Amino acid sequence: MKTFIARRLLLLLPILWGVATLTFFLMYVVPGDPVRTIAGERYDERTLAAMRAELGLDRPLVIQYVHFLGGLARFDLGRSFVTRRPVAEAIRERFPKTLVLALSAMFIAIVLGVFIGALAAWGRVPGLSRILMTFSLVGVSIPVFWLGLLLIYLFAIKLSILPPSGYGGGSIRNLVLPAFTLSFASMATIARITRSGFLDALGEDYVRTARAKGLGERAVMGKHVMRNALIPVVTIVGADFGSYLSGAVLTESIFGWPGLGRFIVQAILKRDFPVIQGAVLFMATTFILVNLAVDISYGFIDPRVRSGGGER
Amino acid sequence: MSQRGLIVVHLIVLACLVGCSRHGTDDVLKLALQTEPSTLDPAFSADFASGRVSSLIHSNLVAFDPDGKIVPDLAWRWEVSNDARSYLFHLREARFSNGRRVVAGDVVYSFQRLLDPATASPRWWLLAAVRGASAFHERSGARSRVAVSADDDSTVAIVLEAPVAHFASLLAMPAAGVVCREEVERLGAQYGRTPCGSGPWKLAAWRESDEMDLVPNAGAPGPAPGIAGISIRIIPEPMTQIAEFETGNLDVLEVPRAELEHWKTAGVNLLSREELRVAYIGLNTRRPPFKDVRVRQAVNMAVDIEKIIARVLFGGGSRARGVVPPSLRGSPEPAERYPYDPARARELITEAGYPNGLDIEIWQRENPEGGRVLESIQGYLAAVGVRAKLVTREWGAFKEAVDKGTPDSFYLDWYADYPDAENFLVPLFHSSNIGGKGNRTGYSNARVDSLLDAAGRMTDAGRRWELYRAAEEIVYGDAPWLFLWFPVQYEVCSPRLTGYRIPVIFNGQRYIDVGLR
Repeated sequence: MKTFIARRLLLLLPILWGVATLTFFLMYVVPGDPVRTIAGERYDERTLAAMRAELGLDRPLVIQYVHFLGGLARFDLGRSFVTRRPVAEAIRERFPKTLVLALSAMFIAIVLGVFIGALAAWGRVPGLSRILMTFSLVGVSIPVFWLGLLLIYLFAIKLSILPPSGYGGGSIRNLVLPAFTLSFASMATIARITRSGFLDALGEDYVRTARAKGLGERAVMGKHVMRNALIPVVTIVGADFGSYLSGAVLTESIFGWPGLGRFIVQAILKRDFPVIQGAVLFMATTFILVNLAVDISYGFIDPRVRSGGGER
Repeated sequence: MSQRGLIVVHLIVLACLVGCSRHGTDDVLKLALQTEPSTLDPAFSADFASGRVSSLIHSNLVAFDPDGKIVPDLAWRWEVSNDARSYLFHLREARFSNGRRVVAGDVVYSFQRLLDPATASPRWWLLAAVRGASAFHERSGARSRVAVSADDDSTVAIVLEAPVAHFASLLAMPAAGVVCREEVERLGAQYGRTPCGSGPWKLAAWRESDEMDLVPNAGAPGPAPGIAGISIRIIPEPMTQIAEFETGNLDVLEVPRAELEHWKTAGVNLLSREELRVAYIGLNTRRPPFKDVRVRQAVNMAVDIEKIIARVLFGGGSRARGVVPPSLRGSPEPAERYPYDPARARELITEAGYPNGLDIEIWQRENPEGGRVLESIQGYLAAVGVRAKLVTREWGAFKEAVDKGTPDSFYLDWYADYPDAENFLVPLFHSSNIGGKGNRTGYSNARVDSLLDAAGRMTDAGRRWELYRAAEEIVYGDAPWLFLWFPVQYEVCSPRLTGYRIPVIFNGQRYIDVGLR
């Protein structure tokens, strides 16, 4: 296990180098001049040249690249062209807000998704399964944007029980709508997977045995069915973490949430190279580490994974 | 407890948490911006949001009032010499938000900083008319030769290379804000995050992408604001802004044009004001097909602008016959030259050598309203044989291409920096401004240039306008644009807000005279 983790961590370095190099050169391939974007609507070429020199954009690309890598080696992500603030500082400020949003959404998605899926599989209430599965189909297909506005209209304007948007200094009231919006698609997926997992498990011999020996419905569902049905759910949740981070981009814009997703979008629109590079690198690192954590957690949930790969 | 019971309890707790207290009203003015200021450093305030907030925090020698009139700011009076080259500003008592008194030396420092090539400010040009300024900026002259000087602590003298009639307006622009030297030197590039000015407001907190809190600056020159503070929320989505307004969390809301009908009948306080802005399709006059004036005139006759204003803009604009918005004009706009006449347009295009019609590209930046506008224009053009292809580019790429003259034509608008006809005619049509300085169609007409140059030196408002009018008349005839419209801005206010007016110029409202009931 230890060598497995060590090897994966070591692999992180070349991957990050690749990501850094790719984003760096992509910036210079896509059209759009950062200086022109910052300069407003009335400038001469000489002013642009002076601004370029000030930002270090007048140096040969290779020098800029070496400088960029050198900064990375010292954990220095540089300064934003637009705000002139250190990129690392801005990420440190915003990432926790995106993380809170993503984790809350994940929590809601798991709890409600499993509940709905299990209820649909249970099948003791006529018609309920069909209603729930229709609901989850809608959930998968509904655009985040529309859902967000709908929720704002309903809970903020019509019922006036939640604020429409904003961070509210970290108030849980402000978190509810964006978290729910972000969770929606995932919740629906989880519900569908839970349902099929439950249905498979319900047909297994051990369930029939459990029923035959006279166990109550709650014990059968809770102990025997649930445990086996949830393994695919864990896989989905782990693999889906990235979609929470990327889904946060839209959700954060609709709800005015001051997270990393919106930050990256703004940076892309303004061609703020250091911010884009820094944030992409940071997201990539997070993504890789989360995947590693998921892989490791498999080892704990299912011993077959642990013994399967490396030793043979 | 059963699992089901637990869930019920959780839901009840959640409902309590979210249901309790909505924050009550107080005497803080609640505003929203769609984009966040990039910086509050005057020297780098080149975008709308930065300039607007920076002007609340910094004071200038003079300022704009909501009607765009020049009013005292740091200077309570000023004298202009007979040859209109020398200005003498008399400062009044004012303090920076750190408590230090503002002296004339601070004005000198701020202006030299703006001009300093090492600062690399995109807005240095607003002081370009000052004697010695361009030389200093281009590193061919010394800092000490810039003719801005402090005669004593409360007098600033400025000498211009040649008379500039709108010089006071330039001094009221955000980039001419006076900064606190020791804070600039202490903070360096971070000054834009924690600015220190002597404006009516002081930045108390800036939670990025979330909210900015402003409180009154006790040392500001002039009367103190009548409200306890301003909160500026950063809300990118217009629909979300509407929701915030409807729930009482905003006092002023800019109404998207598509929502106009709703608000007209909603029984709220709807304000409107014609913007100092002109929307146009620039026609690249440097190469065919728009090198030929007949083709340019033809496209102007091919499109029913009035109908587009009514249908696509929901009436939120007035047709532009010419370039200068009605409120800046000294006389009525030019007589109609381009009535909607597709048959005549077709003739002109045939005369110009395109009997089978022609293919053009119209470039635009990403913008939903622009998309609808251009699709209708595309339809009108197709009817006279001009097959227009719409090309959408993101802002930076769009500007780069347009500055270099790549597209045949492009959809753009021009916001005034200051309320003066000069700000429309000179940057947009003087041949010295071809490219990024504003003249993006490459239009060049020696007669127009000389009229504009002469007007720039003239101080008599009436005669100056006559020259501008003559220049505009020529431009209108030469049609380097498909002239579109002057947009109208609509805003709604909360019932508790009093004394608010939409400013004609973006930094013309400093919220000193507004009140909250």
